[in-house]
Amino acid sequence: MTELWSFFAEPLSYAFMQRALAAAILIGAVCSVLSCYLVLKGWSLMGDAVSHAVLPGIVIAFVLGLPLALGAFAAGLACALLTGYLKENSRVKEDTVMGIVFSGMFGFGLVLFTKVETEQHLNHILFGNMLGITARDLIEVAIISIGTLLIVLARRRDLLLYCFDPQHARAIGLPLGLIHYALLVLLALTIVASLKAVGIILVVAMLVAPGAIAFLLCDRFDRMLIVAAASAIGSSVVGTLLSFHIDGATGPCIVLVQAFLFLLAFFFAPRRGVFALKRP
Amino acid sequence: MSELLSPFAYDYMLKAMLVSALVGGVCAFLSAYLMLKGWSLMGDALGHSVVPGVAGAYLLHLPYAAGAFFAGLLAALGMAIVKQRTRLREDAIIGLVFTAFFAAGLLMASIYPTAVNIQTIVLGNILGISDEDVVQVLIISGVSLTLLLLKWRDLMVVFFDETHARTVGINAGALKILFFTLLAACTVAALQTVGACLVIAMVVTPGATAYLLTDRFGRLLALAVAIGTTTSFVGAYISYFVDGATGGVIVTLQTLLFLTAFYLAPKHGVLAARRAPAAAPGMVP
Repeated sequence: MTELWSFFAEPLSYAFMQRALAAAILIGAVCSVLSCYLVLKGWSLMGDAVSHAVLPGIVIAFVLGLPLALGAFAAGLACALLTGYLKENSRVKEDTVMGIVFSGMFGFGLVLFTKVETEQHLNHILFGNMLGITARDLIEVAIISIGTLLIVLARRRDLLLYCFDPQHARAIGLPLGLIHYALLVLLALTIVASLKAVGIILVVAMLVAPGAIAFLLCDRFDRMLIVAAASAIGSSVVGTLLSFHIDGATGPCIVLVQAFLFLLAFFFAPRRGVFALKRP
Repeated sequence: MSELLSPFAYDYMLKAMLVSALVGGVCAFLSAYLMLKGWSLMGDALGHSVVPGVAGAYLLHLPYAAGAFFAGLLAALGMAIVKQRTRLREDAIIGLVFTAFFAAGLLMASIYPTAVNIQTIVLGNILGISDEDVVQVLIISGVSLTLLLLKWRDLMVVFFDETHARTVGINAGALKILFFTLLAACTVAALQTVGACLVIAMVVTPGATAYLLTDRFGRLLALAVAIGTTTSFVGAYISYFVDGATGGVIVTLQTLLFLTAFYLAPKHGVLAARRAPAAAPGMVP
């Protein structure tokens, strides 16, 4: 019992761990809510594309002396818009176009990065640096994630209708184009907020796994949101603590805890789990 | 002038350029098929999924290709099982599985930082490739290329019209398995040149560029391979002058070429479409 207590208490006596846990909770919350929509809409790989594409934005923002988050946001959005434009104007399939655009931007970002002397570590951008989050970073994460969360929760019915049944949404007069771009903007914002913690490459896990876990467990969307948030926040906290104890990278620990939760849901979900199906 | 030729004076540069060109060519061959089917993101997923295998192989001093291949196979199997058992969308399953694998690789590298250089795996390091790795890349590429040259017509028939393929007695299932095995193998080879994150460009962009330039599949294949080989060779050459980031340079070149074709392609380019907005004919085998 005391061991369990010290598993939680010991890390919390360090200020950097307190900040890391606060960031983990915020990021888990915002990513999980968005992931429910992405999983239903089939946009999981859009998250992957946008997150890779932010790299050149970060480098360029550094060169121009702008906030890095701004550059990342602009580049992420540019990737999504460019994908849409190239797809509309050529006969190449959407997933192919998406792959071309984000890999091109990522590759270009790498070239830029080697040519520009930045104080940023490439490893921190790629894989995150949860334990090195400063108080200023934390405020930035808090503003972006709470803002995004409020917008999504306020418009959750409209977004849901858009994801489930765009025809119906159009019929009752919802502005589909606006919602489409709003969702893209929210996605880019969420990715920017999560970058510092889990890095470019693993953000997509935060944007897919909670929704997928909740999808296996729930039939109602409101419950799905709650289950996704609970699993994401829980695994963010446990992953961060785990990484402290085993002295491993934080982002991967969070993602692996989430993957473990998914496996649990996959096997033991009350109605859809593998073992549930076998019962008569 | 002599400065422009200086990369050719170094053994490691020659090695890098030739290996890159070979890998670029084989990947481009596959890209012609991959982009037709809308399976592009499988390439990305495989590229990320092999990372723990490579990390484990380096840790245990095994051939990196064996570990990578094993991890890739495991990931593909995982995706198939989850897809069969749940109603989740395919893209969510792909995203879920490959990130979990990738995270496992990162965790291994963070715990054993001296044995596994994660940056080499994720971003590639063709300029510093070891001779044993070159041998593995050569074997993989050689075998893949031979199989592709032998089977490209059958694969084409399967990819265009599976029912027709079955009626003329082609074993479509076996060919698909062959294709995905080749894809995994080429992903493993490409890992050395461009790294896990950029593998997707190698197996998508040349094919898509060629697709904008021609309507015949045979020509598309030849064009894609030419594009893949040239950009990889030139990319490795240029990376000598920008001090590294070979993968980044290769992929940037491929993307620029795609954008050029997107605007200027004689029949399917944006500018051509503006001049004559007639319906573009479909692809013919």
